[in-house]
Amino acid sequence: MAQDAEQPFKLNVPDADLELLRKKLDLVRLPDELDEAGRDYGVPLADMRRLVARWKDGFDWRKAEAEINVFPQFTRDIEVDGFGSLNIHYIHQKSSVENAVPLLFVHGWPGHFMEAQKIIPLLTTQSSDHPSFHVVALSLPNFGFSEACKKKGFALEQYAEVGNKLMLALGYTEFVVQGGDWGRYIGQRLAYAYGNKSVKAWHTNYPRANPPTLRSNPLSYITSIVTPTTAFERAGIERGKWFQKYGRGYFEEQSTRPQTLGYSLADSPVGLLAWIYEKLVEWTDEYPWEDDEVLTWVSIYWFSRAGPAASVRIYCERVRAEYHDWWSPIPLGISFFPKELGAVPGTWVRTIGNVVQKSVHEHGGHFASHERPEDLAGDLRKMFAKGGPAFGVVSGKSGYA
Amino acid sequence: MTEPSDFTRHPIMANGYEQPFSITVPPEDLELLRKKLEVVTFPDEIEHADWDYGVPLAHMKRLVAHWKDGFDWRKAEGKINAFPQFTRDIDVDGFGTLNIHYVHQRSAVENAIPLLFIHGWPGHFMEARKIIPLLTASSPDQPSFHVIAPSLPGFGFSEAPKQKGFALTQYAEVAHKLMLALGYPEYVVQGGDWGYTISRKLTFMYGGKSVKAWHSNFAPVLFPSFWSNPFLFLAALVTPWTPAERAGLEHTKLFGENEMGYIKLQSTRPQTLGYALADSPVALLAWIYEKLMRWTDEYPWEDDEVLTWVSLYWFSRAGPAASVRIYCETMRAGELKSLTANRSSVPLGFSFFPKENFVVPKLWTRALGNVIYESEHERGGHFAAHERPEDLVSDVRQMFAKDGPAHGIVPGKSGYA
Repeated sequence: MAQDAEQPFKLNVPDADLELLRKKLDLVRLPDELDEAGRDYGVPLADMRRLVARWKDGFDWRKAEAEINVFPQFTRDIEVDGFGSLNIHYIHQKSSVENAVPLLFVHGWPGHFMEAQKIIPLLTTQSSDHPSFHVVALSLPNFGFSEACKKKGFALEQYAEVGNKLMLALGYTEFVVQGGDWGRYIGQRLAYAYGNKSVKAWHTNYPRANPPTLRSNPLSYITSIVTPTTAFERAGIERGKWFQKYGRGYFEEQSTRPQTLGYSLADSPVGLLAWIYEKLVEWTDEYPWEDDEVLTWVSIYWFSRAGPAASVRIYCERVRAEYHDWWSPIPLGISFFPKELGAVPGTWVRTIGNVVQKSVHEHGGHFASHERPEDLAGDLRKMFAKGGPAFGVVSGKSGYA
Repeated sequence: MTEPSDFTRHPIMANGYEQPFSITVPPEDLELLRKKLEVVTFPDEIEHADWDYGVPLAHMKRLVAHWKDGFDWRKAEGKINAFPQFTRDIDVDGFGTLNIHYVHQRSAVENAIPLLFIHGWPGHFMEARKIIPLLTASSPDQPSFHVIAPSLPGFGFSEAPKQKGFALTQYAEVAHKLMLALGYPEYVVQGGDWGYTISRKLTFMYGGKSVKAWHSNFAPVLFPSFWSNPFLFLAALVTPWTPAERAGLEHTKLFGENEMGYIKLQSTRPQTLGYALADSPVALLAWIYEKLMRWTDEYPWEDDEVLTWVSLYWFSRAGPAASVRIYCETMRAGELKSLTANRSSVPLGFSFFPKENFVVPKLWTRALGNVIYESEHERGGHFAAHERPEDLVSDVRQMFAKDGPAHGIVPGKSGYA
């Protein structure tokens, strides 16, 4: 059903879907576990038992849904070259500051649009001391409450195209981008494809980078050789090695056989819960997850419009597409969090883009906007503040009243 | 919630004696499966996906529909129970006692060669079902075998270990002690997949003394290493590849690029994966069926055949999650490197099947050890015992035949009447 204009959206999972989930939870069959396994083999059984029990009796999805619906949500159709029209879901929270900076927040996997929930109030709030933002947090196609793309080959270029066209459709002819995980790669593509046209600056908290080479980044290359790594960087590199050795199983499966995995994620709420919860714990910095918080997060995947199986296809399509080094001269801000996954020496990050700001933090991991919202919002405010390195990049939208 | 998991270890009735065994899945387990199949949720699928992203949706829908209405587990169970099965307790150093399940089919030929058949993942003891009647048959023209096909610990109807660290040494120990308990102090071994790896470990631990010879249809070998095998290394450098070998290497390369996600996952986070495999028959079906299709040579799987295979995992004693731990424990024990680097002197027979996962030039396989028999086939893949039973049995018979290179290798058990 082609939808020409924006439609307001309220999340309202059908009762039948809640009933089906309840039925499946009633039939749960859990595996055993090795003695003293800890986290050594994956999610501990005790965690799963506790979470499943709560999901069955106690967790109130309607309450969680209502809290999500506090955010103004909409849907509209976006035409994607070669792929037809996709109905896209998004939060659009404007600031009371008329000339707030339009910011597109792009989530990753296993993230979702509500990763922005804590930073939205911080970014949109008005103050004479820092800039404000109009925030658009979309559900990427195949995620959340956006439509799935059923054609092969929907890769980073297409995700970026959706983001750009959405902002233009909302009347933001110029805007900035923030993203981690896939949001960083989509942000990088946005900066490359639309940089200095519609995209004026971008920020990421996932500074995974390739080492500079003499030919492509001579200055960075030389700097990287002569600059010793800091203790922060060395710890990050160690964590990176751990991740390469123990943490990439999901990546290998999702980038080769997403459909085979997808049957597990679509049919078993317990399978999905374990799959995502493992990341919520392993990728964060001792973040004190509450059970309802986890279950809300996973329920967004369980009740997603396209279903959880669609969400992992991005890995496969990305890995099969040609690799490009998308470097853009537009300003780039980077936040370094100690428990992020792809840590590299700071001297390498100029290979990602035109770095104008680097912020190093003491706490936080992969889901920075959820774990350390004040830190992340603070970094964005600094970047676009009066006197900041990206102040006024969006014409007529300085961020101040 | 204080309920135990559904695969709580049952107290062992340690008895030291063999118990006859029949599979009798409790009715409540069949009922639970039926209930789960009734609330199956399928994902969507990319248009024209075919096998590009994993198991096609049409296959899954067809199989699930049949599993719900049509597939008769009791009938399948009955056929499996036609094979003489037993259980007995085996003591494993540092791991206590494990109750081990096995098929033990003796030949009418008294001095048949004792042959231990070791399955892999996602295999099981019934991979031997077609070769058992062939191997045990008596004839003056070929050797006969007594066949022992166990369920590895954590698979089929054997108990799973409780403690961490149960790796190749332990799997080999269980297999060896089983053979000794059955009165076979000297024997030969056949295996593919983990069966190959465990067999190889057996040759290092008990070779010469107990393990007299072994046969494999699978070997994840690499280019010969200069350090461990300089002669083969040089030979491999200069020997041109045949078209078949070139095709095999291409096939191996594709396998490495596309089909190994499950290995990386199972060897790092088997428990996380295990929740899906234990809870969802559809998850388990997809996970295993993908291998049954991708690793075979256009084998014409029938739906009942697939569902019987997967049901053996679904109804397994330790549950399907336990079966994938072998990857993790073995990698972490670090045993695989030394296994490949060292050369085994125990006589080895090798059968090459064109659609095996790793298909490498014959020369490379000779680096494995004392290869006394080689055979090449035109058809067949990873599950050779199931796909090409006559071929596999023919090879094993030739190896141990009166004029074969391993004739009489087990003293007093020539395989002939």
